Amino acid sequence: MRLEPTLAAFCLAASPALGAPVAVQVSDAAGRALPEAVVLLEPASGKAAVRPMPEVQIAQEKRQFIPRVTLITVGTPVNFPNFDTVRHHVYSFSKAKTFEIKLYAGVPSRPEVFDKPGIAVLGCNIHDRMAAWVVVADTPWHAMTGADGLARIADAPPGAYQLSVWHAGLAANSPPVTRKVQVGSAELRESFQVAVEAAP
Amino acid sequence: MSLAQRLRGSFAMRVAALFLGLLALVQIASFTAISASLGAQARSTLPDRLAAGERVLKTLLDQRAQTLTEAAKLMAADFGFRDAVLSEDRETIGSVLENHGERIGATEVAWLGTDFSLRAVAGAGMNPSQFGPAAAALAGTASSAGSASGLVLMQGRPHQIVLVPMKAPVLVGWVAMGFPIDEKLGTDLRALAALNLTLLVRDDASSAWRSAQSTLSADAARRLASEPWSAAPPPMAEVMAAGEALGVRARWLNTLGPGERDTGPAVLALVSLSIDEAARTPQRLQLALLAITLLAVAVFAVGSLYTATHVTTPLRRLARAAEQLGGGDYDTPMRGVERNDELGELAQSFENMRVSVAEKQAQILQLAYWDALTGLPNRAQFGDVVREAVAAAGTDGKPLAVLMLDLDRFKNINAKLGYAVGDRLLQAAAERLSRQVLRGGDLVARRSGDEFAVLLRDATPELATSVAQRIARAFEQPLSLDDHRLDLTVGVGIACWPLHADAADTLINRAEMAMYAAKKRHAGPQMYEPAMDDSSAQSLSLLSDLREAIVRGELRLHLQPKLALATGAVAGAEALVRWQHPVRGMIPPGQFIPFAEQTGFIRQLTLWVFEACAKAWRELHAEGADMVLSVNLSARDLFDTDLPAKLESLLLQHRVPAEAFCLEITESAIMDDPDRALGTLKRLAMMGFKLSIDDFGSGMSSYGYLKLLPVDELKIDMVFVRNMDRDAVDVKLVRSMIELAHNLGLSVVAEGVENAKIWDQLRELNCDQAQGYHMGKPMPLEEFVAWSARWVEKSRLPGAAGSAGLLH
Repeated sequence: MRLEPTLAAFCLAASPALGAPVAVQVSDAAGRALPEAVVLLEPASGKAAVRPMPEVQIAQEKRQFIPRVTLITVGTPVNFPNFDTVRHHVYSFSKAKTFEIKLYAGVPSRPEVFDKPGIAVLGCNIHDRMAAWVVVADTPWHAMTGADGLARIADAPPGAYQLSVWHAGLAANSPPVTRKVQVGSAELRESFQVAVEAAP
Repeated sequence: MSLAQRLRGSFAMRVAALFLGLLALVQIASFTAISASLGAQARSTLPDRLAAGERVLKTLLDQRAQTLTEAAKLMAADFGFRDAVLSEDRETIGSVLENHGERIGATEVAWLGTDFSLRAVAGAGMNPSQFGPAAAALAGTASSAGSASGLVLMQGRPHQIVLVPMKAPVLVGWVAMGFPIDEKLGTDLRALAALNLTLLVRDDASSAWRSAQSTLSADAARRLASEPWSAAPPPMAEVMAAGEALGVRARWLNTLGPGERDTGPAVLALVSLSIDEAARTPQRLQLALLAITLLAVAVFAVGSLYTATHVTTPLRRLARAAEQLGGGDYDTPMRGVERNDELGELAQSFENMRVSVAEKQAQILQLAYWDALTGLPNRAQFGDVVREAVAAAGTDGKPLAVLMLDLDRFKNINAKLGYAVGDRLLQAAAERLSRQVLRGGDLVARRSGDEFAVLLRDATPELATSVAQRIARAFEQPLSLDDHRLDLTVGVGIACWPLHADAADTLINRAEMAMYAAKKRHAGPQMYEPAMDDSSAQSLSLLSDLREAIVRGELRLHLQPKLALATGAVAGAEALVRWQHPVRGMIPPGQFIPFAEQTGFIRQLTLWVFEACAKAWRELHAEGADMVLSVNLSARDLFDTDLPAKLESLLLQHRVPAEAFCLEITESAIMDDPDRALGTLKRLAMMGFKLSIDDFGSGMSSYGYLKLLPVDELKIDMVFVRNMDRDAVDVKLVRSMIELAHNLGLSVVAEGVENAKIWDQLRELNCDQAQGYHMGKPMPLEEFVAWSARWVEKSRLPGAAGSAGLLH
């Protein structure tokens, strides 16, 4: 890692106060901007305290999960309102959150709480083509790329971090692309190219 | 003859047999050709059938893989299955794999991670060391195609393995399942392509093939396994297995797992069929051909028998009709002439023949029993009627008589006036005769030529004689034909039954003899006398003896003196032949000369007489007598152009001058062929012979010939001479003839001088010579010499003025 000394210096410098923002540019195998890529910034040592996020919704509409990729923090409840006229059977066999909501319509009575970090793949037992990912982050510094493939994390204090990038298009069970970075006073710009094809 | 024998020998059966034989040949040929053609056709299609079968096999395997894949996919998508597999609980995973695998008939089930590493296995046949690598080998295809299938040899049996993803909903792993290939593959192939399937397996190249499964018999499968199958088999291999020729096409099935196809575990699919069975003519076709053959044979048998019978029945009828014709039945009309075919024509021909034969038969009967010229019954009918009459008379005892008539001089009339006149003469004679026989039951017939016969029933000899005389008188009336006025005389002979003969034929013969006698005697109808018989009855055998008579020296020369009327001197003699038969005694010339003339033997007889005369003349000459000897020539002698040469040779031989001979020829002999006769006579005259016309006046001779003939002498027929003393007419005739001869410069001889009065009359008429019994009968030479001496002696007696004195 060529950039490692620089990042380390950045992180150390930023540690006591808010560090400089981190900007991560993610592109696909062809070099195009890759949206919906999840970027996590985890401290190289220790663990930052994470608070659950308010209830998040992953709707089923026109036999699709919307949104396809949801980034939450550990402990965040997620509800699965069904806006379709057909029933769905939402399930996940992922270790991050194993659950199922058997055939139902409308809004389930209670949300599912994602209390373990990791990536949960959601499916519908009725409609095999429906798929959604819930990335349960165990760090407060996380972001998802927009249409421009750019994700920004603003409030990480300076220090050494592991920057990991994941995208749903990565092969199943394949680990996130990680990189050690040093958050310092200057804005950290990182570029990732992941082996997926961005949807045109 | 039994019906079977008749049929066997009959035309109809032969026709039927021929047609059936030909049909059988055609049928056998066509059956053989069809079988061979079908067999060859079937054989030629075998490789294609096997290739098609191989494709069917591949399709079956693919379909099976597809089916298994779908089943596996459904299983992998099952929520409970996924739930259990992803539970991470090893025991649960194992049991769910086994449980769900059993549901779709898999004997091996494995759960693999997304990296195709074996996570869990289950199943009775599971051998992870084999199954794992096989499943891993499918990874590439499965990754790209979403699922994969392949063949693997496990525990000696070929298995199909399918690898399908498990998604939740993204790929979370793979499920691999193995299915042993069961008998259904073979039965399916058999049902679809009518081919047998044998799967051979081997673990590696060094081990032998063995049959994993087969729809063939165990023996045949083992036999196939013993073949050294190469990696690149031919389109069709021929293998003799369990007594049957099999056409086999081999297909190497790709196997997963370690090792190459040629060295490692291998599965070989053999698609086979029976060549014999395929090449054999289908049984239904065989049955159809057999049925057609039997039908054709039946139709042909009936048809040809019908046709042949149709032909032979009329033929048999014709044959029967022909037999009837042959048997003399000409009255039954032929059947079947109304047919329009060849048989009809044949029947018509038979019918025409029948009619024609019937007509001919009638004509023949007419000809056989009737005389066409006169319309009278003929000789045959007369013979029959007389035989019947004799037979009838034999029972009723009434006498019969047969009259036989012959017209005198008819031959001359025919010759002079032609046959047309002769025929009309015969018709007139028949009519005249018929008018004299008026009683019913009597029969007039024409026997031959100018010979007629009459049968008188219930007739005594007296009655017969009176009828005969009436007939003779009736014929004395002259007959006018055209410008000719003909005097007819008849010789009538009578024979009576039972007086003269017992049998009919004898009766007729004897009547005939009597007739000849009558003709000879010129003394009216003659009743048969036994004396008449000696000559005729023996004539034939006499004639046969005549040839030998010359050789045996049985002939005798007799001489009858010819006397000069003026001087009474012996002027010469007529030579006559007598036959001294060793058994029958002396035979008069009348009994053999006519037959000699008929047979031509007369020429030898003439030469014999001539030679005998020559010898006699030498003897007489030696005695001092110088006389002329007369020899008779017949018509046949005149036709013999060698006669002059033969006579000359005899003259030389006996040193006698020709002038010593007078050759006597009858008018009729000359008239038979005047030109030839004239030629011969001229040559004889040139040689120096004297020539004489014999029997002058009796023939119908033309005086014109007298001018042409080189004759020296006329000899007046005795019929004119012998009655001169009583008949003034005869005297006038004789005088005329003498005057005629003298006017022509010919000398005249009179025959038949039987008494002195006639001698005197002739002398007064200036006849030159006389001959007759009054002076001397024919006698042998010695007698003649003696007689001559006595005659000369008498003539020298005084008072014998002229010859007259000698005779009174």
